[in-house]
Amino acid sequence: MDTVKGQQWLIGIFSTLLVVILIIVAGMEMKKSHQTKPEIEIDKTTAQCISCHEKKGIAVKQIDAWKESKHAVMGIGCYECHEAKKGDFDAFTCTGSDILIGRHPTPKDCGKCHEQQVKEFANSKHAHQFWLLKNGDRAVFEFPMATRHGCEQCHQVGNIWPDGSVGECDVCHAKHSFSKAVARQPETCGECHMGPDHPQIELYNESKHGNIFKAKSKHWNMNYSTTDHQKIPIEVPVCTTCHMDGNETQPMTHNVSARLATESQAPWSFRTVWDKEHLGDWKKKRERMEEICASCHAPDFYKMYFLTADLVNLQYDEIRRQFVYWTKKLTHEGLIHRLKRDGKYYSNPVLNGWDELPEHEMYYGWHHEGRRFRMGAEMMGADYTQWHGIWEIQEDLTELIKWAAEHGDSEAKKIAKSNDPTKFITFSLYDVPGTAWGIAAKTNTTPFVYNTFPDYWDRVYKNVETAYKRGLLSDEQWELWLKRYKNKEYYLGLKYANTPQVDSVWNFYKKRNEIDFKAMKEQVIDMVLPGKNFFNNK
Amino acid sequence: MSNVKQWLKERFPIDYDKFVEINERIFIKEPIPEHMKKWWYCMGATPLILFSLQALTGIFLAFYFVPSPEMAYESVRHIVEDVRFGFWIRGLHRWGANLMILSLFLHITRVFFTRAYQKPRELNWVIGVVLFGLALTFSFTGYSLTYNQLSYWAATVGTNLIKSVPLIGESLLYFLRGGQEVTANTLTRFYMLHVWFLPLFLVFFLFLHIVVLRLHGVSEPEGFPKGKYFPFYPHHFYKIIIATLFLLAVMSSLTIILPPGIGLPADPTTTPFHIKPEWYFYPTYRFLQLVPLKVGIYVTGAFLLAFTFWPFIEPLLSKKNEVRRKISYGVGALTLIITLGLTIWESLV
Amino acid sequence: MINEENQKRRSFLKNFAIIGALFVAVGLFFRDLWLYLYPPRKKKKFHKYLVAKTDSVPLGKAKEIKLGKDPVFVVHLPDGYRVFSGICTHLGCIVRWEEEKQRFFCPCHKGVYDKTGKVISGPPPRPLDQFKVEEEKNLVYIYIEQKTGGPWS
Repeated sequence: MDTVKGQQWLIGIFSTLLVVILIIVAGMEMKKSHQTKPEIEIDKTTAQCISCHEKKGIAVKQIDAWKESKHAVMGIGCYECHEAKKGDFDAFTCTGSDILIGRHPTPKDCGKCHEQQVKEFANSKHAHQFWLLKNGDRAVFEFPMATRHGCEQCHQVGNIWPDGSVGECDVCHAKHSFSKAVARQPETCGECHMGPDHPQIELYNESKHGNIFKAKSKHWNMNYSTTDHQKIPIEVPVCTTCHMDGNETQPMTHNVSARLATESQAPWSFRTVWDKEHLGDWKKKRERMEEICASCHAPDFYKMYFLTADLVNLQYDEIRRQFVYWTKKLTHEGLIHRLKRDGKYYSNPVLNGWDELPEHEMYYGWHHEGRRFRMGAEMMGADYTQWHGIWEIQEDLTELIKWAAEHGDSEAKKIAKSNDPTKFITFSLYDVPGTAWGIAAKTNTTPFVYNTFPDYWDRVYKNVETAYKRGLLSDEQWELWLKRYKNKEYYLGLKYANTPQVDSVWNFYKKRNEIDFKAMKEQVIDMVLPGKNFFNNK
Repeated sequence: MSNVKQWLKERFPIDYDKFVEINERIFIKEPIPEHMKKWWYCMGATPLILFSLQALTGIFLAFYFVPSPEMAYESVRHIVEDVRFGFWIRGLHRWGANLMILSLFLHITRVFFTRAYQKPRELNWVIGVVLFGLALTFSFTGYSLTYNQLSYWAATVGTNLIKSVPLIGESLLYFLRGGQEVTANTLTRFYMLHVWFLPLFLVFFLFLHIVVLRLHGVSEPEGFPKGKYFPFYPHHFYKIIIATLFLLAVMSSLTIILPPGIGLPADPTTTPFHIKPEWYFYPTYRFLQLVPLKVGIYVTGAFLLAFTFWPFIEPLLSKKNEVRRKISYGVGALTLIITLGLTIWESLV
Repeated sequence: MINEENQKRRSFLKNFAIIGALFVAVGLFFRDLWLYLYPPRKKKKFHKYLVAKTDSVPLGKAKEIKLGKDPVFVVHLPDGYRVFSGICTHLGCIVRWEEEKQRFFCPCHKGVYDKTGKVISGPPPRPLDQFKVEEEKNLVYIYIEQKTGGPWS
């Protein structure tokens, strides 16, 4: 390296090295993120509000929340929403100023800029006053003090304001940041859509969608827009994805009723006719929902899934029929009574009734476990469909019949006293061969009805066909059901149930079960403790 | 072309040929002794290159740096996070400072152990010590400009130490701080020192250092064939280019791999748990914690005096060159071991 | 002979490559320094800003609002809404809207603008600066520059 030539080589090598390093430096420069928050221009009136509120220390963090919002960037300050005219139901003069302020901005105020959203919302069942039309639980069984922070809090979402507007916009995108990300958080919907009578947030959390969301959503920016036919930007849906947000084909809507095909909260499940004029019939609504499913799933999957869920709803109706039959009969027989005062009835034997067991079972059978059974089937909440659903419905019905038998109804006595396993199926059955997720080789070999009634599928066929003919299933659904029916040996897995490979696996686990049971028997069942109990031996 | 030359000659009446000849002599034909082909002997050029780069990057940093307590930290953050290639310029400046002190250590060691400070080059050694002190002051003032927690408190503690210097300590402290406490005045004073006064002094003494070096010629150490020289260009010139490229590459890499952070903004009300000065002050820092302050100051002072005037002290110790060499080697080795030891110790605590 | 030529060519290529690498390195270095000094010319981003609701500015009237500290006038003309900056284009004083005369008047040097911002008389060199206006139903928006916060913009 002492020679000139050696030195020249060194110059070349180090120049190249420096070039490489400078390229890396330039690369790092490019990767730097230059995210900056836009400056907020505050107009005079808003500045006045802010200075006074800050001085008096009233709700000052709301100012920070407002500064986070898009309203602030776009020049929508305090007065744009809180402006009031003389005579407004909530108008008052802000202390220490001469500005007339509205205490409760209503959808009418929001609608000055967000007309479409307010209109869509007003047209949805979020704005429906059903809970007041059928207010028995609150009006009779409970009392106003109890419901102020109860029923009235959730149902504020559909409040009718003195100015004629309906709803409360900041229930979902809370004031004053009005964040889309907050609105999209499942827990936001879950503030109301939870609990024993409509556990949607619990269902979501139980579902595959909810599970993946919990695992991965830490890194997702939920502040996106879906008003422009964009692709759904997140891996799994949240509530708004399916029920409100748009995708490439569906527009975004604040009308949650636009994509729902079944009234599965009602005492009877029936196809939605809500605003048929503008939203179309239930098939159109189902189509809209399927368009969202199609972003991630194959039609094969979601169409079968929905068919099964729809049949669960229809099946529920048949069980409901039983409850209604019994409570009507028992009322007629004078075994249960309606609440009455001054010639006016305050309870309905098929809807409520809070003091007598049959009424109680009937009510829970539709309002609590009945809803869980249906909604669990629709939203992938298997445990809610099963243990918190049909299991408890069957128990409710059995109790009701037992009570009726104890109180003298002869028909009930017959059922209650029967030792025939069919005593639990006093209603018509729907069915569909298999599920949306594959072929189970042994699952369908055990049901009692399959193994006992050779004409089972004929009966089921007739029931499903009747439902179809009544318009409760679409043509496409009937075609799909027929395909399953015609190939029921395959879809029920029965074709493979007794093949050597399935049987060998089955026997493997049967043997394991015998070992388990043997252990249980030997360890604890056949055990007799020496220490005498205390009841018989004083 | 000759018209232009004529025009220029009439307005700048200097002897062009003589001018070219002088420049050639200094920069191209200057004879360099053979030993300078070894890299170990180029530890003088390295700090020079690094200082030039420091000056360059420093000037560029000054385009965006604001020396007020409110804006100092923010402007450094701005440079590092927002300005295009700001992180790189700042990294070069920071790592350049560290490498400069390091290369100065190596240069001083080299000069000492080849005894190049001997007559007639004693004064150049003293000038060198002055330069080293200026470099350390540069680092101290520069580091304090970032106005983060560590730099603020290091400046406070460091200037407090100055108070202990006998006689002039108090007034020196007052002058440096621009008041009793570390305030905005302190920041602006440090800034003025760092970008104006220190560069002025450094350039002056650097010029002296190089001129005196060139006047005497590079000292030839024992063990190399005497009388053999090679011209400055192309050999040494290329060496300087290689060194510059190499240093730029190393500093850029260090900037990427070990980016100098910006730390936490200075909080005059909260002292962080561990304040330490920069690594080149570790030996003094550790030493002053081992002995009572007054003792520490006087011992450090004595050491600095011996260090500065060693070329004059050494001949007083013996008449024989062999003995002098052994003494110097011994003293040098001892100093090195103690310095390294104290440095490592402080870094582990 | 051929060997000599080859040697010369190889030597030339070697020199060429080395000088080339050196040039690129030095060039990149100075390019980075240049970019450092020149703040990027960011393309101006605009966003919508609400200035008035239509019922607050009747025809023939103007409303004054403050955009930060700058005055802005929203005028309702027969052909729509116009939004002007209230800073006089002469030397930066703030103009006044005179409703009876349907004009803007600057008290500093008596510059006069008509209701479309055009200069009628006085020293102003050009009409009042206008904002791009967008009307949406009953809302009047303008497009303002997106400024980023902090001391560096």
